[in-house]
Formats: sequence, C-alpha cells, structure tokens
Amino acid sequence: MIPANEVRVGDRLRTRSGVELTVTRIDHAFLGRDDMLAFVEDSNAQWLKLPAPRSGEVELIARGAADT
Amino acid sequence: MAWRDTLTTISGGPLDPGLLAGKVVLVVNVASQCGLTPQYEGLERLQRRYGGEEFTILGVPCNQFAGQEPGTPEEIQTFCSTTYGTTFPMTAKLDVNGRRQHPLYQWLGSAPDLDDVAGEVEWNFEKFLVSPSDEILARFRPPVEPEDDRVVAAIERALT
Repeated sequence: MIPANEVRVGDRLRTRSGVELTVTRIDHAFLGRDDMLAFVEDSNAQWLKLPAPRSGEVELIARGAADT
Repeated sequence: MAWRDTLTTISGGPLDPGLLAGKVVLVVNVASQCGLTPQYEGLERLQRRYGGEEFTILGVPCNQFAGQEPGTPEEIQTFCSTTYGTTFPMTAKLDVNGRRQHPLYQWLGSAPDLDDVAGEVEWNFEKFLVSPSDEILARFRPPVEPEDDRVVAAIERALT
C-alpha cells in the first residue's frame, strides 16, 4: 500500500475488487470533491477509473517505468 | 441516432425496440457494488411512477468504475431483481468511456451536464434523459439522486 497522493502516472494499482490498472492519468478531484483523487487507465487494453481519498492509501503492484 | 435498435439485453438477445420506441428514456449506467447502488431504489420508484407507454428507465451495467460491476449477466439480474425488485430493461454490460466506448455513449457523452460540462461519464449512476425524437434533454451526474426535484421535473416536462 502507498499513500494515494504518491501515485504517479505509470504505476500499476489493484482495486478492492481485484481489477488492476496502469495509471495513465490522475484527476485531481472526483465527483466535485477536492479531497479525492481519481486514477485512470485510458489505453488500448482498457478504460478504468479508481478513485481514492487524497489522504488514503491504494494497493501498488508495481512502480511505473519512470521510477525504475 | 438509431441507438434504440442496436442494443443487446442483459440476457444476450437483441433488445426489443418496442421497449424504447416512442418513449422518453432515462439511460443510467449501473453497478452492483458501488456506494451509489442504493440509487436502484429511486430508479425503480421512477419506473413504477412514470413507466409505461411514454417512459422507461434503461439500465446499462458497466464495469469500468473500480470494477464494481464484475458479475455475470445472471448474477447482475438476480441481484437487481432480488435486492431492488427492478422491472426496467437492462442492456448487456457496455463500455461507457474509452477506446471501446459503445456508440450510444459516444453520442450521450456530447451532452452537457447541469454545469455545462460534457465528456466522459464520471462514475456509476450517471443519468441521461433522452426524448422520443432522440434529443438529449438533460444529463445528471452520479450524486444527483434519481428522485431529485431536477430529475423529476425534467421527466415531467418531457412527458407533457
């Protein structure tokens, strides 16, 4: 788990339901709430959105290429 | 747009165009494991209040929001009927955003919401009100409850 506000584009995350996504975009509000982030994968493989409280944690599977 | 003739039911066959033809339709992308899933209650009350020859809700299961609609068609149908007693038609699971976005949502996404913002569907339970002549009359973002005064007023305006 890592703090949501440390997620970067390229990171691979897993949702509570077990679905995985590689972050291609980070929205800095969710449903009008500035205390929420939303991680989006918009790729040929899938479009998937995972929101998270800015102060919460998310499950990190792998750091993106920018960190390796 | 001939969207009414191109949809597949959650059971797998073509959606009977008669279920939608000539009607005002409230199109809603739904999910079974979302914090907003109890909105099914308000949707079903709208269906029982206004549904018939002139109006229907159309549920569109979608698994693109945190994977909150993971079930099979049978599981989704059973959940909706046993938990919420839904009676409105449901399509097969669709993509509402992204590169495999269903043509219905390519069209719906062009409509502005109450803040005049168009584009991506933001989350589960976004609502689009469509006239019988395929005009997108209103778009309500997910936090707007099905029985919100603004939704009810838009439906009643469309039916008069």
